[in-house]
Amino acid sequence: MELLDRYLQAVEFWLPKRQRQDIIAELSEDLRSQIEDKESELGRKLTDAEVEEILNRCGSPMTVALRYRPQQFLIGPALFPIYRFVLGVLLIGCIVPRILIWLAFLLIDPVHRGYLHMENLWATVVFFVFFTTLAFAIFERSGVKLELNTWNPRKLPPLRDPNRISRFGALTEIAMAVIFNIWFAGAFWPQSTDLGKIGLHRLGLGGVEVTLAPVWRFFFWSLLLVAAANVALAAMNLFRPYWTVRRATLRLLFDAAGAGLICWLLKAQALVGIAAPGLSAAKALVLTNFINLWMAKMLPWAIVVMVVILCVDGYRILRLRGICGGGNSLEPVVKQVSNLMVSGR
Amino acid sequence: MSQSNGNHDLFENLRLELRRGCLSLAVLSQLRTERYGYTLRKALAEQGLDIDEGTLYPLLRRLESQGLLTSVWREEEKRNKRFYRLSPEGKLMLKQLGAEWQRINASLKEIL
Repeated sequence: MELLDRYLQAVEFWLPKRQRQDIIAELSEDLRSQIEDKESELGRKLTDAEVEEILNRCGSPMTVALRYRPQQFLIGPALFPIYRFVLGVLLIGCIVPRILIWLAFLLIDPVHRGYLHMENLWATVVFFVFFTTLAFAIFERSGVKLELNTWNPRKLPPLRDPNRISRFGALTEIAMAVIFNIWFAGAFWPQSTDLGKIGLHRLGLGGVEVTLAPVWRFFFWSLLLVAAANVALAAMNLFRPYWTVRRATLRLLFDAAGAGLICWLLKAQALVGIAAPGLSAAKALVLTNFINLWMAKMLPWAIVVMVVILCVDGYRILRLRGICGGGNSLEPVVKQVSNLMVSGR
Repeated sequence: MSQSNGNHDLFENLRLELRRGCLSLAVLSQLRTERYGYTLRKALAEQGLDIDEGTLYPLLRRLESQGLLTSVWREEEKRNKRFYRLSPEGKLMLKQLGAEWQRINASLKEIL
């Protein structure tokens, strides 16, 4: 019976303390009864191999013991889908931008890519995973109940249509673009310089005089043109609030042009000089170089933002062409409504 | 080969799911008369329903904690054994579950 006692000892180790003796006594009785029955059937004592067979059939000590424990989990099935969603959003929001910026630095400014240590990234990931898991485990333990049974079908969000353009969004875009264009044109309108150097431009910004390189004129008019085109597109979207391939392509082209202009300006060393009351020439030169340097260093970050915007624009075109994003089962209805709105019927 | 294993695992999972509820009903029905674990297992096996110790004893404890069974330790044949039987709540539950089983069984006979 040594094998049986060893087995029972191993099971006992994993059992809940309060029920240990009780469970072991009952399990021991059952196994001894099985062994006795078998012995009386065979008319002899069982060999170790035969006892082993009975114990094997019963299951591993841990498996047997765990069946006596209530089902335990850190985060239960009700909270788990929300936990997974929150963790996914946090991790994507934390990892993707950092990797994109790191790649941009690697391609454009490899000397300074050391600003973004990947070791820090893993530390951040561990931090997010740990605290999110901890928070949800606390919710689980505190018995927070989700009101899953008190929902109302009428309060469900409206059907999503990725090709529909929000009128509020289009109006906001127009308003913001008009305000920006007026401010930009008023503040940065190229003026002739009195420095006698052809092509330089001087701007007066609240007591501070900024002198810009000749490239500024090209940038200024180009950006103003792109901004005006975007306003026109937004106005069209306001009256025809469904994306079409043509308009989505125009949006991609305008955004690409704007992105190219901004990236080019960051690299162009556009600032020639700064003058302000009480600012010595030497200090102005240091400040000018500092601003130009930091504008150049901003380039990788700007590229990442631009790439993300262009990816969204590109994805929209692919979706409209039905190449990705899944088939929209509402597409025929959407097209019909769109046509009706356009034709004014 | 792996698909065959997958099918077998799936069958095993579904079979266990199907058995789980039936076992509670079978155990309750056998405990109209007092029995201890080993004789209960033998009685069920004789009627074609094998149940291993690792499943039966946790189930008995759960049913007891739900108030459907009562148990008492008593010496028999020079060994201490735990005897179980239905509580009054258990009898009522068995009646209700039995009726439900009959309804499901009748429906499934029609469906299958």
